[in-house]
Amino acid sequence: MTDAAAAEPADDQGQTRDLSNARDMIVCEEVSKWYGDFRALDKISTTIKEQEVVVVLGPSGSGKSTWIRCINRLEIHQEGRIVVDDVELTNDLRNIEQVRSEVGMVFQQFNLFPHLKVIDNVSLAPIWVRKKPRAEAEEQAMAQLERVGIPEQAHKYPGQLSGGQQQRVAIARALAMEPKIMLFDEVTSALDPEMVKEVLDIMKTLALSGMTMMVVTHEMGFAKEVADRIIFMEEGQIVEQGTPTHFFENPTEDRTKLFLSQIL
Amino acid sequence: MSEFAGLGADLGMSTGMIPITAPPETPKLPPREWVKANLFSSPFNSVLTVVASIIILAITRGLMSFIFNPQRQWDATATNLRLLMTQAYPEEQYLRIWIATAVVFTLTGLSLAVWRAGSAVPLSDVGRRLLTFGGTIALLVLLAPFSVRATIIWLVVAVAVAGGGEALRRLVDDERTMSTLGILLIGLSGLVGSLWVIPYGNHTFQLHRTPRVLAEPGTVALTTKLPWTVMLLVAVAAYFLGIFIRERLPTNAPRITLLLLWLLMPPTLLYLVLRDPSFDMGHVLGTDIPIFLVYAVLGGALLNWLARPSTGEIGRIVAALVLVAAFAAFLTPMRMIVRLDMLVLAAFALAAPTFSGGPRARKNYVIGWLGFLGIMSWLVTAINTPSTVKVPGQFFIGGLSLTLIVAVFTIVISFPLGLALALARTSNMPIFRLLATWFIEFVRGVPMITILIFFSIMVPLFLPPGMHLGEVAAVIIGYSLFSAAYLAENVRGGLQSVTRGQHEAAEAVGMTTSQKTVFIVLPQALRISIPPLVGHCIGVFKETSLLAIIGLFDVLFIARSVMPNQTEFMGSTKENVLFVSLIYWIFCYQMSKASQRLERRTGLGER
Repeated sequence: MTDAAAAEPADDQGQTRDLSNARDMIVCEEVSKWYGDFRALDKISTTIKEQEVVVVLGPSGSGKSTWIRCINRLEIHQEGRIVVDDVELTNDLRNIEQVRSEVGMVFQQFNLFPHLKVIDNVSLAPIWVRKKPRAEAEEQAMAQLERVGIPEQAHKYPGQLSGGQQQRVAIARALAMEPKIMLFDEVTSALDPEMVKEVLDIMKTLALSGMTMMVVTHEMGFAKEVADRIIFMEEGQIVEQGTPTHFFENPTEDRTKLFLSQIL
Repeated sequence: MSEFAGLGADLGMSTGMIPITAPPETPKLPPREWVKANLFSSPFNSVLTVVASIIILAITRGLMSFIFNPQRQWDATATNLRLLMTQAYPEEQYLRIWIATAVVFTLTGLSLAVWRAGSAVPLSDVGRRLLTFGGTIALLVLLAPFSVRATIIWLVVAVAVAGGGEALRRLVDDERTMSTLGILLIGLSGLVGSLWVIPYGNHTFQLHRTPRVLAEPGTVALTTKLPWTVMLLVAVAAYFLGIFIRERLPTNAPRITLLLLWLLMPPTLLYLVLRDPSFDMGHVLGTDIPIFLVYAVLGGALLNWLARPSTGEIGRIVAALVLVAAFAAFLTPMRMIVRLDMLVLAAFALAAPTFSGGPRARKNYVIGWLGFLGIMSWLVTAINTPSTVKVPGQFFIGGLSLTLIVAVFTIVISFPLGLALALARTSNMPIFRLLATWFIEFVRGVPMITILIFFSIMVPLFLPPGMHLGEVAAVIIGYSLFSAAYLAENVRGGLQSVTRGQHEAAEAVGMTTSQKTVFIVLPQALRISIPPLVGHCIGVFKETSLLAIIGLFDVLFIARSVMPNQTEFMGSTKENVLFVSLIYWIFCYQMSKASQRLERRTGLGER
């Protein structure tokens, strides 16, 4: 493991897995981005290993979402390098398409396709991007819907589902592409409180299954329980990173302490 | 992965159907209270109600006095119905018109059955409608300047209708329902049956006879009532055939076949049935069919290769080269059909990677190409084949038929053109964006009449020698380009209303830009654009009346200037224009209703 996790001894606590021999899945080197004069990302550098679950915390406007959206090129970074699964993100469309088909993303606002039934939402990309025969793609889509616990909703439209169910369909849609990495961008922020748990439970199970995950969230409980590493961002910079135990019980930076005192 | 199986079961309980409890029924107000609540709820509202009622009654009375004024020459309309519908289409060829109508009715009947059109209405509702209808008749009769005898007869009819409705409402229990199609059938049967029973009079006009205009008492001529009866029977038979098909075949195959038949119907009827083409078989067999076959075989093979997922970047380069070849073809002298085929092949080749996939996807794509190629080859051949149906002077048909032909072809052709323009204008490629913007802004800045004149008079001058384009075909092309520019702007509005999140979601699962456009953005944009698009279609239909300016005999032109020129009917313009506006209104209102049904079906406004 490189800079980040190496600073924290892995034997600091029992729950931390030893990923030092794992492959690098996402490598960011001095990634910077501006919106006009506003610097949204300021020299972000870190490496995320295969099977690692990274939770990104920080106050709003700190650049968390911008960063995670740079990983699959929904936003374009202006300086630095981002390498995802050995493919560097450049303006070359082929690289972008390759990365996107291997990186699944779930959004805050679900962004399901409202004109398609749930099953078609899930099977559309496997059919046309992965070029699978329709029957096979639909069978796999049903398997993904069972995985997120809503196979009985397959033939409804997204508008007929609750927020939590919609978000689970969105997760199934991303999983149907059999991605190597999953990105979660504040996926529970738009949900009613009683629906948050059903979505978080699925994400926990996904993490246990060995998926490489990058999660932007405000759910501290989830971060404590599931994360291998927590990254705290402010003003476009990585302020502090480490294991959940280190981060919540023993933070070193003043800004981290201030943030924790405000939310806990 | 297996650990997910248990999770699904755990979460299953929170996803069960929410039990639906019926909302409390809002009681229906008895008539008197309804009137009080809705019309006389305050002194001011009462005044408004009274004033508005007086105005409505005055207008209706004016209209009734105009229609039933003894000075009105409704004979002019009745005598010249055939002229209004088909202009001078020869009498001995009229069977062609009826065959064409029968084809349309057959497809309609089949479609109604296959798409399960119509819904069940409670008989008590039908009774209520009849009651209202009878009341309306009575009111209109009292407002109309009828003789005492006519007033009494009509009042009896009105009371009978209303009484029947009231009886239906009271005597039949609420559970009994009736299909809307059944009601439609009863109405149409009544209309057609009345042709056999009611003495509308037999109005004829013959040039070489004195008197030229003759109104014989009795029912209408056999040449009118017999075909219409047959048409009704054809539609009913087709409906039952459709039910037979629906019950025995899977859902999708008949629907797709019917859609294709609807698409093929206009060019087939127009150029095979109505015009009766005199084909130069030597040319057809020696030139047209070989060209078609070469493009079908070579183009099909090329597209099959391009739609293979493994073809990759080389395929895109080859597709671009086909486009270059198509442009080159327009710079070198050769047959128009060869150039057009090349251009369409280039478009299909460029779009191939979007629809690439397994053998089945490739087969569908090649079939799509063959279909498009077939229709286009047929149209070009048919346009260049002279008609054996001869009428003095103009295009072989006129009147309402011409209006419908131009409107249908223009709408069908301008739709894909408008979509392409809208997509080009919103695309990221600067060249396409620039071209589309210039085209749209240019066309929108020019009056439609100039475009019609340009295409009917000037374009034939620019055509290469030997290439012949009928006047109506030229006008349809011009009108389609004009309509496409406006349609593009309507679609663009829909495209812009698709949220950023939808684009991102499609991109995040790895779709290419064209896949995102075809599967995600366009369906949503079109659904949002239904109201303006239907409004546009209504506009296209009505503006066909401008065809008169370039000397084509559309239905309004005949009503406005041809019929009043018959010395017997001097000054009958008002009646004819009123009649023609009724025809326009019926068509436009049906389009409007269809739009509302389409909106409901696609769930517009719900999500």
